[in-house]
Amino acid sequence: MLKNFKLETNRSGLFDVTPLVEEALTESGVLDGLLLVSVPHSTAAVTVVSPWDVLGLEDVHDEICRLVPTRIDFKHQYDTPQDAAGHVKAALVGHSKSFFIDQGKLGLGHSQKIYFWEFDGPRSRSVQVKVIKS
Amino acid sequence: MSEQLEAYLGQARSLSELVETEFDKMAARARLLLTMEEAYGIRQIIITGSGDSYFAALAAASSIRAWTGLPTNAMVSMEASRYLDHGCPPLAGRNRGLLVVAISNSGEAARLVEATTRLRHLGAITLAITANKDSRLGQAAEKQLEIPIPAAAPAPGTRSYAASLLGVYHLGIRIAEMLMSMTMDKAEGLRRELRQTSVGLNEAVAVSEPLMSKLSHAWSTKNRMDCLGSGPSLASAQYAAAKLIEAAGIHATPQDAEEFHHLNYFAADPEDVPTILFAPSTGLARNRCLELIDALDQLGRPRLIITDDKDYTASHDVLVLPKVQEAFAPIVHAVPAAMLSAFLAKRRNEIHYRGHTGPWRGAQNAGLVRNSKLELPN
Repeated sequence: MLKNFKLETNRSGLFDVTPLVEEALTESGVLDGLLLVSVPHSTAAVTVVSPWDVLGLEDVHDEICRLVPTRIDFKHQYDTPQDAAGHVKAALVGHSKSFFIDQGKLGLGHSQKIYFWEFDGPRSRSVQVKVIKS
Repeated sequence: MSEQLEAYLGQARSLSELVETEFDKMAARARLLLTMEEAYGIRQIIITGSGDSYFAALAAASSIRAWTGLPTNAMVSMEASRYLDHGCPPLAGRNRGLLVVAISNSGEAARLVEATTRLRHLGAITLAITANKDSRLGQAAEKQLEIPIPAAAPAPGTRSYAASLLGVYHLGIRIAEMLMSMTMDKAEGLRRELRQTSVGLNEAVAVSEPLMSKLSHAWSTKNRMDCLGSGPSLASAQYAAAKLIEAAGIHATPQDAEEFHHLNYFAADPEDVPTILFAPSTGLARNRCLELIDALDQLGRPRLIITDDKDYTASHDVLVLPKVQEAFAPIVHAVPAAMLSAFLAKRRNEIHYRGHTGPWRGAQNAGLVRNSKLELPN
């Protein structure tokens, strides 16, 4: 099954989508298999980060902005400088992550949550979850 | 006369299709006109033109100011040409932060060619919105946004006005998007609304035609008219007055809704001065326009209120157009403005532009505006 969630981002940065992914898993009824989280966008990504210190989330986002700052001299001029930087960031991070499912639970550790990473917010976005039974 | 009427009405009826067919092409052309580095260097925008092109500039200027956050002003071509540089020599690139948007459908209006040449020499980024990029204006400007429109039977500028509006709105939205003063989603939303005016234009034709025909009968002997509005709707007032003059030879005066209370309010014989008020129900001048309707009542002026909400006013003399946001209202306002002028010309047996004959023969081939001597820097 493929589950599609809508997400309205109100900024650039990280958005916890773990509850959405767990909902999709529960709905599938799959106890053993693989789960893929994917975003159909080129200026957003999926990653796994520790949720416990919100400032840590800000650090993660700040660092990628330091590595790929928003500039006006990107060759890609079609949209906006933030969009152009967003393409690079999204390419570096990747648009999907896969997780194993064991006894109906996601293969995530205590300090791991799944985040939608917005590089060009605010935008109207989608998160897709595919569950595959072993 | 009937042929003239049909040609003019045909232009107004065709605006919806014009938006449909030209919208995507203009959006695509506007997208890569300016580089990011150029856009981020802009500190001020001046949109200039004469006649209908100036009205298009006026219609869009306040919205582009709001969208981009940049000081943005509409300016008639004489002011842009002679009263910006004041004849001073250029200051070596210090004026690069000025974006001059010069609008002319033909691209041959002499004063605008002159303004564009002088301001480019001054260091400004010059961008022509024109149907003819090979025209003198197209050649004078550094950049061109082409707005070619499929030919139609000749009539006072209607399709060319709508095309100029589309072009300048597209440019404003794109600059705001590039500057990230609005998100890409919001910019796309505005583009969708702009495209949707094609639906509104069809509805505007359906409701305007019978009422404007009827009104032209009641007003056919009136030789003076006032056209009022504020913000973008001041451009509609200017456009309506221009069409009344060009098509029907009526001495029509455009005025801001506030200024009216200071000025034309006092015109003698008010019962002989029909007054058209463009008043979008959600416009920022909404409440002042309602006060103005009361003033018109008291004066006993024949009037027409053009709005988009049947509950906006209790007045009986109302044309209710489809709802569009205030910024884009001038597009749909063009329909009743053109149709009233078309019907009045027919009822008054007036040939458009007085046939460019007799005392008006100097206007043949647009000679009055094309052949004026250019004053250019050495």
